[in-house]
Order: sequence, then structure tokens, then C-alpha cells
Amino acid sequence: MSDRAGTTAGRDGEPLLVVENLRKWFPVKKGLIIDRTVDHVRAVDDISFEIRSGETLGLVGESGSGKSTTGYCILRLLKPTGGSVRFLGRDVTGMRRSELHSLRRELQIVFQDPYASLNPRMTVGDIVAEPLVIHGIGNRRSRRRNAERLLEVVGFNAEFINRYPHEFSGGQRQRIGVARALALNPRLIVCDEPVSALDVSIQAQILNLLKDLQQEFNLAYLFIAHDLAVVRTMSDRIAVMRRGKIVETGDAEQVYTAPRHEYTKALLAAVPVPDPHKMLARREERRRLAASVEELV
Amino acid sequence: MSVQRGLGPASVTERRREFEAALGRTAEARSQEAGVALERASLWRDALYRFAANRAALVASLAFLVALGYAYITPWVDSADPYFVDFSEQYRPLSWAHPFGTDQFGRDLFVRNALGARVSIEIGFAATLAIMGVGILYGAISGFLGGWVDNVMMRFLDALYGLPYLPFAILTIVVLGGQATFWTMVVALTVASWFTTARVMRGQMITLKENDYVRAAQALGARWYRIVFWHLLPNTLGLIIVFVFLELPGVILGEAFLSFIGLGINPPKASLGSLAQDGYAAFQTHPYMIAIPSLAIGWLILSAFFIADGLRDALDPRTRG
Amino acid sequence: MALLEVEDLHTYFKTRAGEVHAVDGVSFSLERGKTLGIVGESGCGKSVTALSIMGLVPPPGRVVSGRALFEGQDLLQRKSRELEDIRGREIAMIFQDPMTSLNPTLTIGMQITETLRRHLKLTRDEARKRAVELLEEVRIPNAAQRLRDYPHRYSGGMRQRVMIAIALSCNPKLLIADEPTTALDVTVQAGVLALLRELREEHDMAMIMITHDMGVVAETSDEVIVMYAGQVVEQAGTFELFDSPEHPYTEALLAALPQIEGEDVRHSRLASIPGRPPDLISPPPACRFADRCVYASLEDSCTRVLPELRELRPGHFVRTAHPASERAAAPVGS
Repeated sequence: MSDRAGTTAGRDGEPLLVVENLRKWFPVKKGLIIDRTVDHVRAVDDISFEIRSGETLGLVGESGSGKSTTGYCILRLLKPTGGSVRFLGRDVTGMRRSELHSLRRELQIVFQDPYASLNPRMTVGDIVAEPLVIHGIGNRRSRRRNAERLLEVVGFNAEFINRYPHEFSGGQRQRIGVARALALNPRLIVCDEPVSALDVSIQAQILNLLKDLQQEFNLAYLFIAHDLAVVRTMSDRIAVMRRGKIVETGDAEQVYTAPRHEYTKALLAAVPVPDPHKMLARREERRRLAASVEELV
Repeated sequence: MSVQRGLGPASVTERRREFEAALGRTAEARSQEAGVALERASLWRDALYRFAANRAALVASLAFLVALGYAYITPWVDSADPYFVDFSEQYRPLSWAHPFGTDQFGRDLFVRNALGARVSIEIGFAATLAIMGVGILYGAISGFLGGWVDNVMMRFLDALYGLPYLPFAILTIVVLGGQATFWTMVVALTVASWFTTARVMRGQMITLKENDYVRAAQALGARWYRIVFWHLLPNTLGLIIVFVFLELPGVILGEAFLSFIGLGINPPKASLGSLAQDGYAAFQTHPYMIAIPSLAIGWLILSAFFIADGLRDALDPRTRG
Repeated sequence: MALLEVEDLHTYFKTRAGEVHAVDGVSFSLERGKTLGIVGESGCGKSVTALSIMGLVPPPGRVVSGRALFEGQDLLQRKSRELEDIRGREIAMIFQDPMTSLNPTLTIGMQITETLRRHLKLTRDEARKRAVELLEEVRIPNAAQRLRDYPHRYSGGMRQRVMIAIALSCNPKLLIADEPTTALDVTVQAGVLALLRELREEHDMAMIMITHDMGVVAETSDEVIVMYAGQVVEQAGTFELFDSPEHPYTEALLAALPQIEGEDVRHSRLASIPGRPPDLISPPPACRFADRCVYASLEDSCTRVLPELRELRPGHFVRTAHPASERAAAPVGS
């Protein structure tokens, strides 16, 4: 473990996840008695990217861009329509259940809604230990111990292990979700809008937690969000999605300071910045970009 | 530093051990910045408060308990023998010795009605539980699997809905041999009334399936039975409890009717329905013989219904804070 | 005379656990044609403040004390009939989720004309013409055809524009916008905010912009109020507030914001605020931010007595015992 800790942007080594020409199309059915497929909604339309060990790829886009669908496809919560998703060199798209099972230990997810992502009838300890139960790791005592450690690692006092989710606030519930994702020691965690439902001051806490865990356990993140500022603070590299396609990829610094695609520029210009001095200049910028992105005005 | 390609068992256990060690170290060093849990009453206690605040539900609960008490304690306590035939005592009106009078055989109706109530209640609960079992199973499978299976199962259900309730029950009794025993009654009533429960359970499953915690379980690799029994069904508990008290009135009434038309429990055993049938012939001269069992049926049904109503309000997630 | 003057507003909610002090002593004034931004995190009372002014606080909440003087008349003393006339005609309100404010079973045209005919007593044709004008004003293309569409045919941003159109239909003097763009995509948000700004200028309309987003406040408001735990903790002109925030909470909030610009954002931690906002049932008599404040220590008076909202500089009010400008003088332990 010691030689793995500390590296955040692992440029050395093979990529952990390679996505090539990923497509996820949803059929649109019409018909009175028998449904016929008349068209497809191209939620994810031929995208490619890769993520290396220990690094964060920020996947940013507005609603309908396909970013969450991408995350679900990678985890095989949805079956991709086309393309390939190679994790640790093995293609996930066509795998059978049994093969997928062992791979699930390496790939986990944190969800957006802290109120819907935890089973209200399970104790916090059970929720965090469930991954271990499903994969047959350890015995009842070691699982309990692990659950306590995991809760402590995300900032809880272990004595809360027998409480229920409804006894915690949104930010606290998100921590529990993170603990659950961490339980199996994954190499990659898909973070699907993990802080979008939280207040600013709590957001900062959770983002710091994610950063710390990344360092301590050498995690890679696919960080999906619509908030550009949040994505910036978490990501080494960025991919910008629009209507199912990736319009720009690159180093975070570069994309934010010198964006190439018009849509990326429009996104960056649209964000309201907490600095009133910049207001006029930003308005000008938006007006200029309104030609390619009509929603701006 | 290279990424481990092998997923063989040795390296997996190695990695796991290292991970748990790292967990331990990090846990010690970490501050408890998450804070404390909120001091909140449990969800069940909240529901209890709401139920208790509902006066109709409270009165109904009391009424139901009174009915249960009557049905089960009276025959114990009262020394009158319900099967003792004494023609000299026949058709006695209400009195201290016979609070509910006597029937054409001189049998004490106070105790007979209590025993009849017992039978009605027991058939009621048995059938309700059976309905729950069948309905939950059918609805859960249909809702969880979705797709064409769900389609087929629901269309089948739609077809069954078209069959009239009582003829269906009667037919079932006939098919089962024509003799109405406790268990044939239960089967007949179940067969005729499980549809609504199935449909509602299916709806619940479909709604619950959309929750992220189900997706999380899938992402962890949980098998379908774990998801259904651990994640989905426990969250339908509230609904199931309400439905038990919603189905009960219908079943009790159904049993009463079947017995009343003579397809029910055979003498000398009696249910409220068959007692009502006994009293039907003597309606004009001794109305109490039919009035009392009918009132008892109404009492049970109304109280069960208002309890169900109160439970539904108490457990309704929309009114939860 | 200011258009709207709110004085010492208190709104409480009766719950089984006790009385929640959702708004506990809020005062501000708003001039004609100006925009006031009310910013704060969830639960701070900003929405309830707006609802209180409009007389729309849902039970078990009620306005306990205070005045809301609109053009000199106290709204809180008016009867509901009178308030219904004022609502829509003089003061309009738009909310976060337009889908719940729009009736899904009526066409957009019907919903706009209903408001017009009720408040302005127009005939059906006049109302229809005005409705088309309004949709064009909020830049909805093909306005005339769009009148016949139902709400579900509109995207989120367009629905919000329709809400703005309805709000503007009677030319109100004040528009209260409660998180109007929170549910919208960032590009759509930029468009809606730009629209609001232009419309305000054209109609000389005052606006209260309620939001949790400091960026939105910076872009839209002339003056800002920061709320915390039901109280105003800082109030100043926008430039003044962002250039020189005084209250520790305002500073912490600004520091906790992830930046879209800046150096080495990736590897630095965000300044987070430990703890949680206080319970508003029987709140402490002291400063409500004290237990999370880095500058407060146990001997300070602010841990026992609630600091007054005082004018530190002309136009800049703050409710704290440790404003930034006074801190620079004396060195503080972390």
C-alpha cells in the first residue's frame, strides 16, 4: 500500500478505464397494441475517454448531456448499445454476470440524492457493511469492525453504527454513501453529482473528504457534475459533454483557461461568478457567444 | 508503479489486508467532522402519534378490541353451553340469563354469537393473510421483473378482474368438493379477492425500484433475491399493514354472505353469517336472531375500515416531515 | 419613501417539537427600481421572509410580529381579499419550480389570459393580444402558436420565462424571485437572468432576488442581505460586500466556494465551515453563528448576548462582535 499512497495523477502505468465509441441509445416506442420502435434517444452518442490510476476525470455538462448515463454504462447498471468499456484491460460491455461480479469490487458509485441513496430500513452499519456481505468478505465480527473503521474514515464517530439514515442530515448521508462506495477498496469511483444537493458549506466538507480519500487510498474518480467550479476543484482532466457527445477534452487547467470549443466557452462564460467587478466583462462575453449557444440570451 | 492486472485470489486477499490496515490507520488519524446524529423520533413512533391523534381510528381500535374480547373471552367465562339443546328454552327474548336470547333449539345466543364471531374473525384473518401472501408474491414478481413478464402477468390479472366476485368464490367452493369447511372458505375467499393487493404491490415495487439505494445494491453486485427481500419488500411494510385492515372487511363480509346463502360453515359450528341465516326464518317474530349477528358483522367491518384509514394516514410518507 | 420597508419581521412555525423561529427579526428597505439580493443556505429563512411579506406563509406558520410597509401601507395588516388584489398587480412572485406553479391541464395561453382578465379586466381578445406580446417580451419564439401549448411542451427555461411573463403581465412595481434559476442549466440560467435584468430596466421594477448562489447575487443585485438562522447577519451594497465582507459567516461562505478561476485549485482544500446551523426551536440567545465561528472564544460577549445589527460603515450593516475590519487591529489565535 505504501508505494501506492500519495500519487494523485498517475501518469505512469496503464490506464485504468478506457472507453471507446460508447453508445447508449434508448428506443422510442409508438403503437396502439404492439409497440414499434420508431426512433432512438441518443443519450450517449459515440464518446471516448480514459482514466488513469489515481486521477480524476471531470465529466461536465448540462441536463440531457448524457453524463449520468455514461456513468451508469461504465458500471453496467445499463447495458451499452455499442462501443467498448475496458476496465483493467477487460471489456465490460459484454461480460456475463459472474465475471462482472468480481469486477464490481473495483468499480463503485456515489449517488446524487442523499435522501434516496440509502435504504431507510437498514442501519447505517448494515448499509456500509452490505458490500462485504455481498462479496463474502470476512465474518460478522470483521465486517462490523470494518464498518466502524469506514464510518470513522468518513468522519463519523463509530458509535453511530446502529442509527438509521433518517437521523442524519444530507451531508452526513452523503458521507455514508461514500463509506459504502469505499468498502470494497475500489480502484475507481464514479461520483454522480455527489454534492449537487448540498449547501455550499457542506459541499466543501464533502469535496475535501473526497480529495483526502483519493490521496489516502489512491482512488481514481469519474467526477460527474454540472457545476463547473466544483468540477474544476476536483479534476485533473476534463471532458465536456453536450447532447450525448464529448465536445472537448483536455487538462483541467487548459480547458478552463484556454477553452477551444464554442460550447465550452459558453459554459464558462455563463457561470455567475461571485465577483461583481467581472460582471460587465462576462456579460459581453456571453453576448458574443450567444450566436452558437442561443440559450445564453 | 504499475497497475495490478491479476485478479487472482492471492493478490485479492493481499490487497484486502493492506486496505483494511490502511483503513485502520486513517480512521485513527481522522477527525470526527461529520458531527452528531439528529435527535429525531423514530419513524414508527411518529406514525404512532399520528394514529393516536386520529380520533376515529382510536375509537375504531377500541371497538375492534371490544369485539375481539367478546369473541374470545365470553365463551370462556360464560357457563352457558352453546350446543345444549333445550326446547323448553326456545326463542327466549333478551334477558339477564340470555343477553342475546335463545334460538329455535334453546341454545344461548350470547355465547353462540361469540363463537360465531370467532369463526368469522379467524376466517377473516386467515383469508387476509393468504391474500397478502399471494398478492405480494404476484405483485412483487411482476413489478420487479417488469418488461414482458409484467405485461403478461398484468393482462392475466385484468382478465381475472372481469370475473364477478361472489360467483367466483361459490364456484371455488363447489370445485373444492361442495363442502364448506374452514379451509375451503379461506381458499375460496382468497382466490376471489387477491387482485387489488397484487396490483398495488406491483405499483409499489415499480416506484421503489427507481430509488438510488436499489441501484447502489445493483452496483455492488447484489442478486435479485437480495434486492427484493432486503431492499424492496421491507420498504413496503407500511403498505402491507394498511392493506391487511383494508382487506379484512371485504373478506368478513364475503364469508358472511356465503354462509348466509347456505354455502358456508355447517352446523353445529356457526359463523356470524350462518347465525344470521338461522335468524332469517324467524325474522318477523324474533328479530334479534338476525339483528345481532348482522350488527356484529357491521361492527367488525366498520372498525377494521376506520383502523385501516387511520393507519394509512399515519404511515403516509407525504405527510411525513 | 422606500418602495418596501420591512421592520423587525418574526415568523414562527408551531410544530409538535416546539416553535420554530424561521424568521427572527429581519428588517430591510428597498427603493424603487433597485434589486435586493437575499442570500443564505437552506433553512436560513430567506424564502419564509418573502412568503411572509406576501401573506403566503403556510400553516402551521404565522407572522408573529413586524411590519411590511409597501408604499407606506402595512401588508401584514391587510385582509386576504386586499392582498389578493395586490398580489399579481403590484407585487408579483416567481418560484423555483415553474411546473408546480403552472396548471398542467390548462394551455399556457389560458393561464396568462386568466391573470390578465382578473386583474386588468380585459376582454378575451385584448387579453389574448397582450398574452402574445408578453411571450414575445420574454423571447419565446413563435409566441402566437405557443399560446396553445400545454406546460409539458415547454422546457424548464421556457417555463420560467412564461412565469416571468405572467408575473409581468400587470406591470408590478416589485418582483420577488425565489430561487428562480436554481433548477435550470447554467446557460439557461444566464439567459433568464439577462432577461430579468432587461425587463427590470424597461419597466423600472424593483426586485428581490432570493438565492443560495453568491455568484447569482453578485450579478443581479444592487444590495445584498446575508441571512443565517433566521436573522440578517450582514447587509451592504454588492461591491462593498464582496470587496470587504465583515461577518465571519460571509467570509467563510465566500471561502468555501469552489472557484472557477484561480491557481492550483486542484490540489488545495476548500475552506469548509465545521458544524451545522443551530436548531431554530428555542434558539440560543447568543450570536447564532458563535459555535461555528473561528473568531469567537468562550469569554466573548457574543457567546452570551446576541450582537446588534450595527452600521459599521455608511450603508454596511453587520451583526457580529468580530467584524473583519476590527479584527485586523488585534491578532487572533486560529
